[in-house]
Formats: sequence, structure tokens, C-alpha cells
Amino acid sequence: MTTLATAPAQRVSGRASYPRYAASKALGALASLAFVLVVNFFLFRVLPGDPARTLGRGRFKNAEQLEEFNRAYGLDQPLPQQFLTFLRGTLTGDLGISLRYRVPVADLIWDRLWPTVLLVGTSTVLATLIGVYIGMLGAWNRGGRFDRLSTGATLTLYSMPEWWLGLLLIAGLAVGIGPLPGLFPTGGLHSTGMDPSSPAGVVDTCWHLVLPVTTLTLAYLADYSLVMRSSLLDELGADYLVTARAKGLRDVAVRRHHAVRNALLPTTTIAAINIGFVVSGAITIETIFSIPGLGLLSSEALSIPDYWVLQGTFLIASAAVIVANLAANLLYGLLDPRVRT
Amino acid sequence: MQAVLRVLVGMPGRPGRSIGRGRRRHSGHRTRLAAALALVATALLVPSAAQPAGATSEKEVTFTVALVNEVDSFNPFLGFEAPSFEMWALTYDYLTNYSMKDMSPTPGLAKSWKTSKDGRTWTFDVRDGVKWSDGVPLTAADVAYTYTRVLGGGLEATTWASYLDSVTSATAPDATTLVLKLSRPNSVLPLLPIPIIPEHIWKDVSEKELKSYAAEPSKGEPVVGSGPFRLVEGTASGSTYRFEKNPDYWQGAPHVDEVAFRVFKSDDPAVQALIKGEVDFVEDITALQVKALQGRKGTTARNGVSPLFEEIAFNTGAVDTTTDKPLGDGNPALRDKRFRHALGYAVDRDRLIKSAHQGAGEVGSSVVPSAYGNFHWEPPKDDAFTFDLEKAGRLLDEAGYKRGADGIRTMPDGKPIAPLRLFARSEEKSSVSIMDFFKEWLGDLGIRAKVSAMESNKLTETILEGEYDAFQWNWYVEPDPDAILDVFTCAQRGGYSDSWYCNPEYDALNKAQSGEMDETKRVAITDRMQKILYDDAPYLVTAYTTTGEAVRSDRFACFEPQPDPGGVLLVQYGAHNYVTMRPADQAGDCDGVTSATRPTLAAGSDGEDGSSPLLLGVGVAVAVLVGGAGVLLALRRRGSAGERE
Repeated sequence: MTTLATAPAQRVSGRASYPRYAASKALGALASLAFVLVVNFFLFRVLPGDPARTLGRGRFKNAEQLEEFNRAYGLDQPLPQQFLTFLRGTLTGDLGISLRYRVPVADLIWDRLWPTVLLVGTSTVLATLIGVYIGMLGAWNRGGRFDRLSTGATLTLYSMPEWWLGLLLIAGLAVGIGPLPGLFPTGGLHSTGMDPSSPAGVVDTCWHLVLPVTTLTLAYLADYSLVMRSSLLDELGADYLVTARAKGLRDVAVRRHHAVRNALLPTTTIAAINIGFVVSGAITIETIFSIPGLGLLSSEALSIPDYWVLQGTFLIASAAVIVANLAANLLYGLLDPRVRT
Repeated sequence: MQAVLRVLVGMPGRPGRSIGRGRRRHSGHRTRLAAALALVATALLVPSAAQPAGATSEKEVTFTVALVNEVDSFNPFLGFEAPSFEMWALTYDYLTNYSMKDMSPTPGLAKSWKTSKDGRTWTFDVRDGVKWSDGVPLTAADVAYTYTRVLGGGLEATTWASYLDSVTSATAPDATTLVLKLSRPNSVLPLLPIPIIPEHIWKDVSEKELKSYAAEPSKGEPVVGSGPFRLVEGTASGSTYRFEKNPDYWQGAPHVDEVAFRVFKSDDPAVQALIKGEVDFVEDITALQVKALQGRKGTTARNGVSPLFEEIAFNTGAVDTTTDKPLGDGNPALRDKRFRHALGYAVDRDRLIKSAHQGAGEVGSSVVPSAYGNFHWEPPKDDAFTFDLEKAGRLLDEAGYKRGADGIRTMPDGKPIAPLRLFARSEEKSSVSIMDFFKEWLGDLGIRAKVSAMESNKLTETILEGEYDAFQWNWYVEPDPDAILDVFTCAQRGGYSDSWYCNPEYDALNKAQSGEMDETKRVAITDRMQKILYDDAPYLVTAYTTTGEAVRSDRFACFEPQPDPGGVLLVQYGAHNYVTMRPADQAGDCDGVTSATRPTLAAGSDGEDGSSPLLLGVGVAVAVLVGGAGVLLALRRRGSAGERE
């Protein structure tokens, strides 16, 4: 993230070639990933709690059963040994076995990945598109009724707790109020007995996602609309816009082809970063709408603590941010040679 | 209509693409708007499109249950969570079952059993003619195989070994006889809640594979079991599980074709889903939600007795079990049982039930809940704790904990009593509220206290380190008192004892009760143990709480409570109700079970289906589209007009 903000080249002592620039950025990303790998392991080991005791409360009746559990899942090993096992496993693609669900963590993450990507990914994309549009309209008519309305509305939605908004939508649109019937399901990702890969299943999943995606999109809107609004306002006074108007261009054309183009850069940065955060999930929305996503998986794993799941989900989440960051850096290097120091 | 629907339903692929491409195209505006509208329309219409699918399965009756937690494993040797136990009960059978009345042992796969005189040989007469769902006969050998795996240690033993305590071997001399040999008599038998697994399937699952063996349907093949239902779809950590009925079940075929479970991660939406009819049963809801649902037509909501007690536990003196040296920094006053006993009169249990448990529950006394009629010991009236701060104060005075000049009580040697650290579990609102009340009452007695909330993980660690004075938690108590009584033995310190209680007399009694085969004599012993715990007060049991449940009684009926009366309707011991419940229109007299729930009339608006939501949906969609398009157009016009001025 910090690299995105690096100042333009201070020295002219030879602007690096693009491959060299790309290689250095990639190396940096690899180093961050290695750091995350190490931190991930020790961070979760210092959490309070003992998985065998949390899971086995009222089930295990004696110390032997507890030890047996620890032995089976390698928790009786000394910490350095566990760390080596973890490193070896992660490098060979084996993320371990979940202590709670007793299935390989990689399978678990894979199952939970697509609901999260569908939910958070769709919302991020929608929020970007709609937010940018709202911000653009608002800035163009600054102080107008739409501007005041949209700024007020997006800020209200932004500051409203997501779960409350979600519950309101459930009460209004899933259950129905008065004569209005419930149009959408109250939660879940698909109906029971529906094959999610069949055409009907895809429609069914979309139908289930309408409310959660709406909630999340509304909550995210301000993120983009406010940034877009302020960056467009910055551009409004620019000389090139006067020139464009002087040329006799239509208002819409001036906005679209000249002002917005230049105002989009900061929004792109935010979008790139947020796309990296997609796989972190949206815990509150996943909870309210009972969507089995990665956010819920990691937040529930914390209470055990389910070390292997936590290591896995945090690794994926950090890797996604690092990769998104790297992609943004590489793109910047292409778009603006000045950043290749 | 169908054709229109299909066209609309077929669209979502396209709008998605045109949104993506529209960004580059200059004339993409109208396309984008149209695409967005189509998306909205599709979304609004889909429910109506999906409804016919539900309607066609009218002959197929599906009973849908909302769970508030996931199944952690379908493998009976691995799971711990309550929903998993429910799934195993549907899939497998047990040697013995639990009665609906008070969870005492009743025949299951075993028709009958007898014990040798010395109590060291148990012979079970296993039912003939039971088949696994793949057609292979279930014999005593399968039972012996299951138990032998548990006896062999390893992960199989983690959940189940304690039920086979002192059992040395399980053998099947013939197809209908199972023999258990014991090293010493075990009074917990014949309660054996171990799911019986098919040997011909599980013999291929090695000890090493077991730790991640899912026991889930694979390649469309349901899991092999002998229970009333079989799992056809579902995976641990997934959010839906689907079972189909076993028409050849030996206790009679279930009356519903399918049972489906849906996991709701928060209970409000689950209740909403019940109201709407997406699910037929919700469990583990709050007393407030029960109250709200009780007024609804077509719904039966209640707080069922579940064998759970809430307690305030004390640090009675933590020690390092290897060196026997004191551990942690527990308040010395709490090591004195007279001090703890006096505090028993400083708890207004009725108040706690009303405020912390929203009125759902009854006053608690001993660690064996009243649901277990036979084994529950109720203190005689004169000895029972009442809310009597005066008496508590008098007892404290007698024990030497007198009030000082400032009104604060001191230790018998005159030193001040350090403020008691009362720990509550931050995940549980009632826990914090109970401790807040307790702090007030202690204050009235002249004892300072401080409440802090922490996560239960952190609390567990703190307890093991002995760095606490009191905390609030609860225990779920199984049908035999042996397990909960064992928690207070000296040997459990550093294990599952969280009060560090140790009393040789109690330990001796515990040993005696676990080998006492005569129930009357055993009850006499367990009563004495409960009395000792009550007097010594390592725990102050505050309440026996309940579990909130609600069922769409306009659709399904004939749920028998367990314990009967007053118990829960589902998530019981065993799968009894899944077999005996019926669709409301076939309820009859519920096979003569008078305590079972009866069908009720449907809620007013539920009569109509499909068509009206569809029409309304279309209406709303059109309104939204027209309105939205209008607003957009107006804004665009105004926008450019404003700019030109």
C-alpha cells in the first residue's frame, strides 16, 4: 500500500528500465509474503485459548482424551517443530487440517472462497461503478440538490451499521411488510436441494445474493463517490476544461472525455486496494445473511482458535492484498514512467 | 407466463457482460441503463420463478429446520457441536436409546440386556433383521466393531471412550449377541450414545485417515447408515444439509420424505424465515423471540427444558497438580467453604431468571438439573439458599468475616478482603448481567467486587492459571449424573474442574456411585454428593435454563417433548421425533401420544401462494423501473441544462 504513494522520481540518476522496476517490485512483494508467513504462525499461537479445551468442553472427560486430540493434530509438538511443519506444508501447498471441521484447510478455503468473491467482489464492482457515477454528477453540479442529497445519503449509509441496514432490508424485502410480500430469501446462498452449478441454481444464487450485495454496495458507496467527487472538483477549475468548453464541446463530452479521465486516478487506487481486500470477506454481512464466506470462517476460527484455518485465511487475504498492490504498482510503472525510481 | 419467465430468467448472463463492455463505449449509456433494469427485473421475478419448483414437490414433504450453528463433522468420531450429534442421530442407530420421559435407557438396536451378578459382564440381545442403507445386514459384529475401535484408543476414543469406562472388550459371539466384559462394575451402562457404524465401510478407514475422514456423501452416493434418514447432500462447515427418509427403517418409516437443515448465523433472520415459511422449525432462539412468536397464528413457540445449569463458580484454591503448591492468586476468603456457603444467600435467583434469562428458566439448586427427576437432589426447605442478605451477613459474621469501621468486611485475622474479581463471558450477555447483579449484592454485604468480561477462551486460560476469584458459566448435563459429578473430583483439577474443588470424602463417594449397580443405592450416594457440593459451594447454581424453539404447527405436528413434560421438541437425545412427527394434515391423534404438539390453523395470509407475490413482484418491479428511469432522465436533463445557463 505504501508503495502506491511513493513520490515521483527524486533522482534522475538513471530511470530504471521497466523489467528491472517490475523485478524489484515483485521481489518486494515476495519479501512481504515471506514476512506475512512467519508473522501468521506466531501471531495466532499467542492468542489465548487451547483448541482442544475449547472444542472438547463437556465432551472430553479426562486428560488422556485431550492429549489424544493434541497428538492426532500435531499440537503436542514443540513450537519450532510445528513451525517447520507449517513452513514445509505451506510451501508444498498443504495448509493443514482444520481443527474444528477436520477437513483440509485448502478445501475449506476453496469452498468458502466463491461465496465471498461473489458477495464482496460484486459489491465492490457495483459500488465502484455507481459511486463514481454519483460522485461525478455531484461534483459537476456542486451544491445542487442532487449533490446535497447524494452526499447526505451516501454518508448516512456509510455511517449506518451494516448489520442494521441488512436487518432492515431483510424485514422489508425478505419477510415483507404489510401488503408487500417477501421477495427475497432471508439468508443463505442457495436453496436446499438446488444444484448451484445448474442454470436454475445460478439464478437461485443470484436471487439469494440480491439483498446482501445491495446492503454491502450501499455501505461502500461513499468510499468511491466522495473520492470521485473531490477529485473531480479539483479538476473543475483547470484551464483545459475552459479550453474544451471554448471549443464548443457539449457539457457531457467535456465531463466525460476531459474532466473525469483525469479525476479517475485516485478512485482507481482505492478500487485496486479494495479488490485486494475482497477475499478478507465481510464478516457482518456474512453473519446477517448467513453466507458461508471467508470472513465468517476466519472470525469463527478465532474463537477456537483454529490455528490452521487462521493461518490459511490470513495468508490468502494478505497474499491477495500484496498481489493487488503489486499489480497496481506494475500498472503505474507502465502508465507513469516517473515512478520507476 | 412460463415462457415470459424463462426469457427473463435467461437474461442475467447478458446484462453482466454489457455492463463490463459499456465502460469503453461512448454510446454505452442506454445499454447500461437497460442492463441494470433487466438485472433488477430478473432479481424481482426470480422468487416467483423459483416457487413453482417448490410447488411441484407437493407430494414430497420436506421438513426444514433452521440451525444456528454448523455441523463440524459428519464423522461421529470427530464432531463436537450439538448439530453434529443431531445429524448422527438421523444417520445411525444406537445400542440403547433414551426415553422421552426422563432420558433413561430404553431398547435401541438391543432389544434387551442382562448383567452378570458381579456386574462385570453385560450381554445385549441385538435386534435381528436390521439392514444398512446399502442392504448389508446390521449385526452384533458391527456393534462390536464400533466399540472395539473406541476401546482401541486414538481419535475414536476422544468423544466416546468415557461411555465405555472400565469396559475391556466388546465381542459378538453370534449375529444377535453382544458381550461387554468389564474390569469393574460400571453403573453408567447401558447408556451408550455411541453411533453404530458399518464395519464393511469403516474397516477401510485407517487410524491415520480418520483424522480428516468426512463421512459425507460422495459421488452422489448417500452415507451408509441404519438410521431413519440418510444424508444425501451436505458437507461439514456447509450451510445446508439434506436427508432423505429410510423407508425401511426398523422403527417404521418416517412420515416426511426429506429433512433439510439450513444454517443461520444469526437468530433474527432465522425467526424471520420461520415467519415467512422458508423454514418449519427454529431452535435456540431467545425467550423474547419466543414471546413474540407465541402470538402468531400457525406457530407454536415455547421454552423447552434443556438439561443445562447456570452457575457462579469460585476459585476454591488452585494448586499445581504435580507439586501440590498453590497456584495463581485466588482470594483466600473463597478457600473457606463457610464464606462461599454464606454467599449462597446473597443471590436473588428469581431476579436473575427474570432479568438475565428473560424469564425463561427455573431456580437452580444442585448440579444435576431437575429434568433428571430420579437423580436430581433438591435441598430440603430449611437448607435451601434463599435471597437473604441478613442471613448471609450473619453467617459471615459467625465465620469471622466481620464488617470493619468502614463497613467493609475483613478476613478473620483483620486484614481487608481484597475486592473479588468476577469474570463474565463477553460473548454472553446474560453472563455479564448476572455478575453485575452479584457485584451489587456483594456490595450490600460489605464485600467489594469488580466485574470484567472476557472471551471464554481467555477465561479458560485464566481459570487454569488460578488467577480468578469467581466466574459465570454453564454446563450442559448428560442423562447420567456421572459425568458432571466427576468434574468436582480432585483428579479433574487442571483438567475440567474449574473450581479447583477437592474433597477426599466426595471422591470416595464418586468412586462408589460409579460402581453401584443398584439404582436406589446409587441415588442415595449421588444425593449425598450433591448435598456436599451444595454445602461446600464451589458452585452456586443459579438457574436451570431453557431453550427457545418454534415450529410451524400449521404444517407439522406430533413433536413429543423430551423430557416429557416440558422438554425440548428437537435436538433431543436420539431421533425419535423425526420419525414420529407428521405433516399437519396427517396428524390424527399423533399415535395416541397426548403430550405431542397438535396442528394449529394456518396464519391468515398463508392460504394464497405463488400468484400474488408474483403479481406484486412484477408491480413493484415496474414501479421501480419507471421511477428509477424517470429520476435518471430528469437528473441528466437538469444537469446539462443547469450547466449551460
